[in-house]
Amino acid sequence: MTAPLFKAGYLPGLNDAEVTWHRLNVGTPEAPLQVEVPLLSPSQMTALAQRVQHASRTHLKPMAVSDIVRVLDQATARLLDREDAVRQELERLLPQVTGFDAEMVRLNLHAYLHTFRGLQLQRFVAEDFANPKVLDEFQPRTQGGWTRALGPELLVHVWAGNVPALPMWSFVSGLLVKAGSIGKVASAEPVFATLLAKLLVEVEPRWADCFAVVWWPSGAAHERTAFALADVVLAYGGNTALQAMQAHVPVTTRFLPHGHKLSFGMVSACALSVRKGPGVARQAALDVARYDQQGCYSPHVFYVQRGAAVSPQDFAQHLAHELAGLQHKLPRRVLSLEEAAQVGAWREAHEFASLNDNSTALSGTDRSTSTVVYSDRPLPLTAGPLNRQVLVVAVDTLDEVLPLIAPQRDYLQTVGLAAAPGELLPLGEALGQAGATRICALGAMTSPEAGWHHDGRFSLLDLVRMVDIEASTEREAERFTPYEV
Amino acid sequence: MNALVSELLAFIARPEVSDDDFNALALTLFAHQFEHNLPFQKFCQGRGKTPRLVKSWRDIPAVPINAFKDLTLSCVPPDTCARTFMTSGTTRGDVKGRHFHPSMAVYDASMLNNFAQHVMQGSARVRLGVLFPTEVLMPNSSLAHYLALAIDHFGTPDSAYYLDENGLRTEALCEALQQAQESDEPFVLLGASYSFVHLLDALQARGQTFQLPAGSRLLDTGGFKGQSREIPMDAFYAQLSATFGIHRDQCLNMYGMTELSTQFYDAGNQTVPSVKRGPHWIRSRLVDPLTGHDVPAGERGILAHTDLANFNSVVTILTEDVGQARDDGFVLLGRAQGAQAKGCSLAVDDFLKAAQA
Repeated sequence: MTAPLFKAGYLPGLNDAEVTWHRLNVGTPEAPLQVEVPLLSPSQMTALAQRVQHASRTHLKPMAVSDIVRVLDQATARLLDREDAVRQELERLLPQVTGFDAEMVRLNLHAYLHTFRGLQLQRFVAEDFANPKVLDEFQPRTQGGWTRALGPELLVHVWAGNVPALPMWSFVSGLLVKAGSIGKVASAEPVFATLLAKLLVEVEPRWADCFAVVWWPSGAAHERTAFALADVVLAYGGNTALQAMQAHVPVTTRFLPHGHKLSFGMVSACALSVRKGPGVARQAALDVARYDQQGCYSPHVFYVQRGAAVSPQDFAQHLAHELAGLQHKLPRRVLSLEEAAQVGAWREAHEFASLNDNSTALSGTDRSTSTVVYSDRPLPLTAGPLNRQVLVVAVDTLDEVLPLIAPQRDYLQTVGLAAAPGELLPLGEALGQAGATRICALGAMTSPEAGWHHDGRFSLLDLVRMVDIEASTEREAERFTPYEV
Repeated sequence: MNALVSELLAFIARPEVSDDDFNALALTLFAHQFEHNLPFQKFCQGRGKTPRLVKSWRDIPAVPINAFKDLTLSCVPPDTCARTFMTSGTTRGDVKGRHFHPSMAVYDASMLNNFAQHVMQGSARVRLGVLFPTEVLMPNSSLAHYLALAIDHFGTPDSAYYLDENGLRTEALCEALQQAQESDEPFVLLGASYSFVHLLDALQARGQTFQLPAGSRLLDTGGFKGQSREIPMDAFYAQLSATFGIHRDQCLNMYGMTELSTQFYDAGNQTVPSVKRGPHWIRSRLVDPLTGHDVPAGERGILAHTDLANFNSVVTILTEDVGQARDDGFVLLGRAQGAQAKGCSLAVDDFLKAAQA
């Protein structure tokens, strides 16, 4: 039996026959899938970039942002419709290519797509631009003069494959600022961007040449060619990979890297009553189970305050119980030997610690899926081996957490927080100072809201170039009218 | 303990053993270690494996090699031990695994018996050149002890070390190799794989190659460990063969670990990866690292070794090496390094790098 074949990429102006295709074997031994990704020559890449730039200048730049939002809203509506052919193809291919459970992909995709509907996108734009019309034409400034935001002529995206459908954030951001885009898919998830590009063109045929989806092997010369043509390069990936990319980005090109991140949860004693505690643990378990902790926003450690009816150790047990339950509803991916070895090594390290003293305990004897390690000692924040392995650390006060996360300052991102209203702002202030950029409820860690500041940055504002016509120009211009007296 | 040592020495000396003999001695050792080694006892209890329940050597819990770093795995007080071997600490910085040997009798018998068979191949003594520091310079290195045994028991009087605190003694080694070549006396060069790389580089710089006499052999061990540039295995043996004029089936590789008391050998590296085999007092399994169960036949797994010569520490260890069963042995397919994190999520390995930076 030969494995089914998926042709990735979206290449306006190029025939399949003109392109070199690179074959990747993905999927599982039970359900193998072959993916062909396009590998362009330097001249093809250059021609493609010119085509994309030209088309976006002609068809995208003249569109009003509100019209672009309307197109995106229609595309999102189709992706949310389970009867739609593209949606069905996503539901079929994404689990196969990523190994994630089909039900997990379906549920997460649904929640994720909600943030790309028209209303949310309007808010997304308003988050960065008080007056969104600044993206359409020069707008008067209150102190005099005029200002306008121009998107890049060519935005190059380098996408990661850890979380399915991840490319949609930057793909949509690029369209909202009217940039021509070339996106490089990850070998681990080449499906979503390909299908999205095709769907967008179905919805708005004038966009046919405004973007392209390509592939190249990491670090290849192709990267240098693509980066040299771009105004802005937006890249997701590990820090080592990003560093290598940065070396290929010309100094005049803006480089927006999204590198390694580390996220965690905090539970205040206020949330640990007998009635509420188990529910909080359930939300925490969902954050751990969704995409098997592969996201930058996925928690590795939960700091839990002592002193409530539900103790930190009880919380750990509830969490272990919930995770075991989720294994039935949202089964974990099958791990590779290497991943399994890493999980095993992490678990054993804690097991040895528990043999040496009594402050550490492993919950559950189930050795095949999730593990909750409970520590009575204040352990610093460290990354776990992913794949539903999580640490619960007891603390007397939530302030005690701050020195424990301090060494990871450069990596902090999301904090899932269960706390009382009075605690929110003081903790938010302290966590922000410590380096965190996003605080959300437990259960919401893997679903950032529309318009979030990814890694503390502006999704749209970072892409544009502001153009000012200063007041002096206008004042002087008055002197040059034919009717001047 | 002494009775156990005598039993082991007799076991090693036997030409062959039955499955039942192996099993019986493995279970005896397991019971002994369970009784006298408290951290190991707790480890086994955590996994519900006690001598009362374990009836096959395959069910003895495999102790991950990291435990040699975190726990004291010895049936006697460590300070009463004759020797303590330590790992080189390549994976976790300065934390070193420790393997305590109350007496060297078993380790030495295991090494000598096995070495005679696989490296000496019938000759009693041969001129040896060692590319590794002496035991005096590296008292905690099991490899240094192994090589000292080789020189003492199998080396002719003109055998020598060609690596000291000042580095490779290229000049002296070239002289020795030249002599061997001219006198048509076989020469066996042995040492760490990375030292061979340094030697190859040095000889290449001098534009020097040798045609060592028939019966000459090379024995490398341990991989490159970031101590030299990484060379693909095939290129490594091709270059060794070309530089020393030794056929690739006489370029042997030894697979050993500080956490073991017995080594594995291949029968040359004509093709790589070569099949590794151990003597009758060690048996290996390929397991799923999470469940500890054997992987289906033919699949890749993590190597677990049951080494009866490990009488004082733990009889079964779980390595970090990926292997695959082949013929009557296994091939090594590298280390089970943490899978590369696929995106922006931070996984342990990267964190460790970050923490060390």
